[in-house]
Amino acid sequence: MSFLELSGLSKRYGPLTVVNNVSLSVERGHVVCLLGPSGCGKTTTLRMIAGFADPNDGEIRVDGKVISAPSGSLPPERRNMSMIFQSYALWPHMTVRENVAYGLQLRKLDKRKIQELVDNILATAKLSNLAERYPGELSGGQQQRVSLARALVVEPNILLLDEPLSNLDSNLREEMRFEIRRLHDQYRYTTIYVTHDQAEAMTTADVVVIMNGGSVEQVGSPEDIYERPISEFVARFMGGSNILRGRALDHRTVDCGGVKLVCANEAPQKDDQVAVSIRQHTITIATQRPEEPTNWAEGVVVRNVYLGANRDYVIELASGERIRVVTSTSSPVENGRTVWCHLPPEHCRILTS
Amino acid sequence: MMSTRAGLSVPAIKVSVDWSKPLFAALAALLVALVLLPLSWLIFYAITDDTAKLTLSNFAGLVSDPTLRRPFVIAIGMSLGVGALSCLFATPLAWLVSRTDMPGRSIIRAFVTASFVTPPFLGAIAWEILAAPNSGVLNAIYRWMFDLDPYEHLFDIYTIEGLVFAISCYTFPYVFTLVSNALDRVPSDLEEASAIQGAPLFTTLRRITIPLVMPALLAGTLVAILQALTMFGSPAILALPAGFHVITTKIWSLFQYPAKPHLAAAISVPLLMFAVLLIWTQKKILGRRGYTTLGAKSGAPRLIALGRWTWLAWGFAGALLLLTVILPYLALIETALTRTVGQRLTFDSFTLHHFHFVFFEFSATSLAMRNTFLLGVMTATLGTAIALVTAYIASRNVVKGGWILGYLATVPIAIPGIVLGVGLFLAYSNSFVPLYGTLWILLIAFLTIEMPAAYQQFSSAFKSVHVELEEASRILGATRMTALRTITAPILRSNAVATWCFIFIGTIRELSAMILLTTADTKLVSVIIYDLNESGDLGAISVLGLMLLIVSFAIITVANRLPVFGGAKLISLRG
Repeated sequence: MSFLELSGLSKRYGPLTVVNNVSLSVERGHVVCLLGPSGCGKTTTLRMIAGFADPNDGEIRVDGKVISAPSGSLPPERRNMSMIFQSYALWPHMTVRENVAYGLQLRKLDKRKIQELVDNILATAKLSNLAERYPGELSGGQQQRVSLARALVVEPNILLLDEPLSNLDSNLREEMRFEIRRLHDQYRYTTIYVTHDQAEAMTTADVVVIMNGGSVEQVGSPEDIYERPISEFVARFMGGSNILRGRALDHRTVDCGGVKLVCANEAPQKDDQVAVSIRQHTITIATQRPEEPTNWAEGVVVRNVYLGANRDYVIELASGERIRVVTSTSSPVENGRTVWCHLPPEHCRILTS
Repeated sequence: MMSTRAGLSVPAIKVSVDWSKPLFAALAALLVALVLLPLSWLIFYAITDDTAKLTLSNFAGLVSDPTLRRPFVIAIGMSLGVGALSCLFATPLAWLVSRTDMPGRSIIRAFVTASFVTPPFLGAIAWEILAAPNSGVLNAIYRWMFDLDPYEHLFDIYTIEGLVFAISCYTFPYVFTLVSNALDRVPSDLEEASAIQGAPLFTTLRRITIPLVMPALLAGTLVAILQALTMFGSPAILALPAGFHVITTKIWSLFQYPAKPHLAAAISVPLLMFAVLLIWTQKKILGRRGYTTLGAKSGAPRLIALGRWTWLAWGFAGALLLLTVILPYLALIETALTRTVGQRLTFDSFTLHHFHFVFFEFSATSLAMRNTFLLGVMTATLGTAIALVTAYIASRNVVKGGWILGYLATVPIAIPGIVLGVGLFLAYSNSFVPLYGTLWILLIAFLTIEMPAAYQQFSSAFKSVHVELEEASRILGATRMTALRTITAPILRSNAVATWCFIFIGTIRELSAMILLTTADTKLVSVIIYDLNESGDLGAISVLGLMLLIVSFAIITVANRLPVFGGAKLISLRG
């Protein structure tokens, strides 16, 4: 039995189904990222875990006890969770110290104990010298850290984060990603993290859950999701992939507009229409015709851009389809040249559409 | 306290009982009782006769009886007159203040606020002092200047024209506020676009600016009309001596001996319908959003240089302020400090006789002041709390159908004071709930009257407080009530103080509903002023009136110093 379990969870607003039959098991101490475009139901799922929204179907269990079900839910204040909000939601009328101490005061700890715990967490979050400031006097990154400290100090059973970094500029965002992971490794709270940013999910999560249109598309480690997408949506959403359509010749070989691709995984059935994804940076380019045509595609360079760290090509295949290829910067191939692209079998993935 | 969870130093949360659900149910019941009870009794009386049999004869009387029909015609004519005159006063003034470089604009705004705060009945009495045909100060000056006979006069305030004028002096601020806010929001590039195409100033004004603020102008005029239509004090003071009735005074007269409550209820129904229609139309006009706020981000409006027209502008503004504020206030001050009305204030005529009379001789005053103060504080405190919680439930959708509470809280805005008075009288003078003659019925009336404005204050304030601030406290272990008490209420405290102040001021100046509900033991200052007017004691009225004004201004000054809309800190935190 997992620590946190969602089973068959659904949420409807009028005729609109926002979350559709979501099931998920989260192990104690893991960071699970709900990743998806806006409107995919990830935030609603998080709000159901927090108790701010009640499910229409299904239930949520923590340690085997049902906390949310259509018949009734435990209110948020009885769940022993913490949440970090997109807006940080720092109370503007309280100082940093008062913000952080609030949850402990609700737990009726004695003053000395509160002081000690608050001082500790402020030190960990590098906020000690800002304790008497008001939130309005802090920068975005500092506010974010206060919000983290406030959530962690109560030692929650589950920590929830709702797009915590989306209001920060890109430098700070990168720094805070590692900061969140560092604090997690220190405290090991079971964490549910909602984001629409793949990089954020990759750096922080043990398990990534890709959501689309209210349903779960794929669950796996960051590597699974990135290297072995199971659907076209996941491959496109994670980015950096070319998607080619074709017909399965046998379980492993797909004919994509005349190009025969041997793939790493199996197609469901012979003669099925399938899509194959291949990462842009796994493709290599040759200027000479290869001896064995399998997994080689002939095309013409229509665009090539020098990006400093690498070179970005757009190549039009004989079928008219265009693919993108990212290579090292050495030996450029100019526009208009005919080239042969190698799509290595171990990187070609057959997708169930 | 030791850990209850292995390896952790903080114990799991133990939450106390969540009182929110029962509290909300009680609140809903209260609002329903406040609003629906008096209205139901009103309707019941209107469609029954003395033997409680269903009848339509009460309504038939409204059509057939000319003494009931005429007040409607007069009241509607008077209200339209007030609407038109308020427009004439307010629109040019609003344009001068918002759009030109006329010096002293903030002084003008302060005077308009003064006019806004002046209870209209007090203004009417001041104009009685100034322009009664015989004793009126202005007429006396006129006679002295031209050496005329004692019965010659220039002005007669006891006429329909006089009444329209005396009311407009205190309703034009409604139009002014809406129009000047709209003018502040008209982006200057719309006007510049017209100017660049070669339109002269007045063409731009006529073709661009005025059409853009038209909805605000219409809405403001409708409010002025509504105010005039539902006002009791000024018509009672000026129309009754002139020998005619408007609807409100007619309703009041039906409660004089022998009382005809069924007829009074019936006559209240069309007045209520007029009020609802006016409010509905006004909402409709203002609801067409995007009209004045179109492209509103394009900077502050351009001020027009008046140049040599400055003197004309000041002439207009000065004359207006002289008539609406300065002369009436001077009249009240002089009357308060001299022995007889119309006596010039000099070192010889100066007397504190009226002050002595009001505070030490006249027995009713101290009771009335105590009642007014007590009810003001209670209404403001209870009203602020109820409005806060109602706005919370309605805007946060705490319970299913929470918006209905918000709707109920705004309904009284369309109930004229005197109609509410009739409804409450009928609802609470029977033997089921005998509250008539107590302060409780007055408290209920005040709460009902003040609820819409207080609710709207908080309702817009809640829109500026991010809901995540409350959720953050819930997830850390606070119940709804704890979150409301420790997070929401402190964040909204300046709104709460402002709301408290405005309810208090509204309470101490209210007359229309109270005139039917007070008894000898439950007199209020506003009602005492009205009573003293009937006995002609203008000196004492002036003392009481000035006291009312001083208290009001003191409170407004305090309230205005508060950062009502949350202050910079809050705004910077909104995501």
